[in-house]
Amino acid sequence: MNDTRTVFDGITRDNTVLSALMVISPVIVCGNTLKNAVAMIYAFSAITFFSVMISSFVPKRLPYAVKITIYAVISSLIYIPVRLLAQEFYPDSISRIGIYYPLLAVNSLIVFQTEAKFFRMKKLRMTASLFFYIAGFDIVMLITGIVREFLAYGTINSRMTDFDTLISGLAEPFGGFIFLGLFCGIYRRIRSAVMQSRDIRSDGNVSDK
Amino acid sequence: MLKGSRKERFIWLDIMLTLMTLELIAYFYYGVRALVLGGVCLVFCTAGDIISVRLMHRRFTADDLTCTSDALILALMLPAVMDLRIAAIAGLFAVIIAKNVFGGRSNMIFSPAAAAYVFISTSWEKQLLSYPEPHVKTGIFDTPEDLVYSASHFFNISGKMSHNDFEILLGNFSGPCGAVSILLLVVAAVILLLRRDISGGAFTGVISGTVLFAFLTPAAYSRYDSVRYTLVCNMVLFASVYIVADKRIAPERFFYAFFYGFFVGIFSYVIVLTTAEENAIIPVSLLFTPVALGLRNLERKIEFAYAEDTDKDSGSDAEQPDEADEKAAEYAPVSEEVLTEVHADGDTFIQEESDPDE
Repeated sequence: MNDTRTVFDGITRDNTVLSALMVISPVIVCGNTLKNAVAMIYAFSAITFFSVMISSFVPKRLPYAVKITIYAVISSLIYIPVRLLAQEFYPDSISRIGIYYPLLAVNSLIVFQTEAKFFRMKKLRMTASLFFYIAGFDIVMLITGIVREFLAYGTINSRMTDFDTLISGLAEPFGGFIFLGLFCGIYRRIRSAVMQSRDIRSDGNVSDK
Repeated sequence: MLKGSRKERFIWLDIMLTLMTLELIAYFYYGVRALVLGGVCLVFCTAGDIISVRLMHRRFTADDLTCTSDALILALMLPAVMDLRIAAIAGLFAVIIAKNVFGGRSNMIFSPAAAAYVFISTSWEKQLLSYPEPHVKTGIFDTPEDLVYSASHFFNISGKMSHNDFEILLGNFSGPCGAVSILLLVVAAVILLLRRDISGGAFTGVISGTVLFAFLTPAAYSRYDSVRYTLVCNMVLFASVYIVADKRIAPERFFYAFFYGFFVGIFSYVIVLTTAEENAIIPVSLLFTPVALGLRNLERKIEFAYAEDTDKDSGSDAEQPDEADEKAAEYAPVSEEVLTEVHADGDTFIQEESDPDE
């Protein structure tokens, strides 16, 4: 299998939620309506992007534990203005999301993936890669919010549809687990099919480059 | 393996026969709607199973038809007038999510029907617990009218039942369409027990646990009524035959299976007594499946330990060392084969072993 890692991996091949199973609790618990999903997307994107970008200036020679602590402090500081703005934009969603909102400040993309992945890249590539990793989470959150809201409440963005066989259990956390599990299964199935077809094509390539 | 598959098919056939008899009685009480409900569950369970088995790159064989028994069990736990769309969703949930996602027929963790029932109860509880009166027949596409609570609901709240013994035996009271025909369920239980199609230990355990606690802490005004009504209400008899005593889930040995069933019986009774939760035995049996799995693993470990001890004993007799080595070499491939089979397919091991109930 040829290793062709790209900056788009965060969306397709190495999706934050579906592949690495990171930051799944906000998706499961809060991704039950589109409004909640959008509020989470805003907070996750803003906190993660600015935290990782600012953290990238922390000297690399510091001990690992110290660096992680500094990253957490930076993201906590960024959380404050993000939260204040969120109270203006999404006042209803904030109260519904509850504890999962502040928990975004210490999500695994900031705490673990920074050292393991992002800070090993060059700045420009890191920025692009980070953007697509965040977009990967956002897309999953958006799809989960839309589908679960539609199936559980029969609405899309609080607008009524004529869908009347409502599966209200899907709005609950256990429904989120089931939905995300199926979503992961479908994603991995498609990904393996795509990888397989790529391998077949690359094996069939007999050119001398 | 061939012998094991044949045995599995015979079990499925026996269970299907008893379920179809219950379905027939449901038709007698509730009309063609009950049959259509069963048919919808059957079609969607089979279709879901075929699709998911194909997605797992496996062939759909005759052994996979066991999904039809799960479909009928599910249908018989529902009110006869249940929305057919909900029944279809529940059927798909049972085979795809509760069964095949966890490894399918060879690796059953939950009873698919019980998992689907709990799934319905989280989303459509009102529809699930509203029943038609017996002999009130609803058309296939008609909207049901004059729905009532089940007799179990009134018993859980008041400790009384307004039906005589004859009506109770014949299932002439409101409740899930297949779980109220008490006489038929008793006959089915006896037949399935005699033919070793269900786990005798688990069945006896549930009944013993329920009877014991119904007697010690009566839910009705007299202990006799408490025992009698507790057994016929809340799908206790139905679940103890088709869900708790399911051989695919219950532990093999009588002793372990008994205690598994015993605790299911006790916990479900306590929940009914303290919260008046209807049909509590279904979620409780689902919650106890890890216990059953743990006990099954324990059984296997004991079997292996016992087999290893036997090998050592036979090897350390007053034989010459060379002879012992030869014997060990002779037996080693056999034990490796057994190990491989167990890891590849848990059922195989169970089927090849002698029946522990004997």
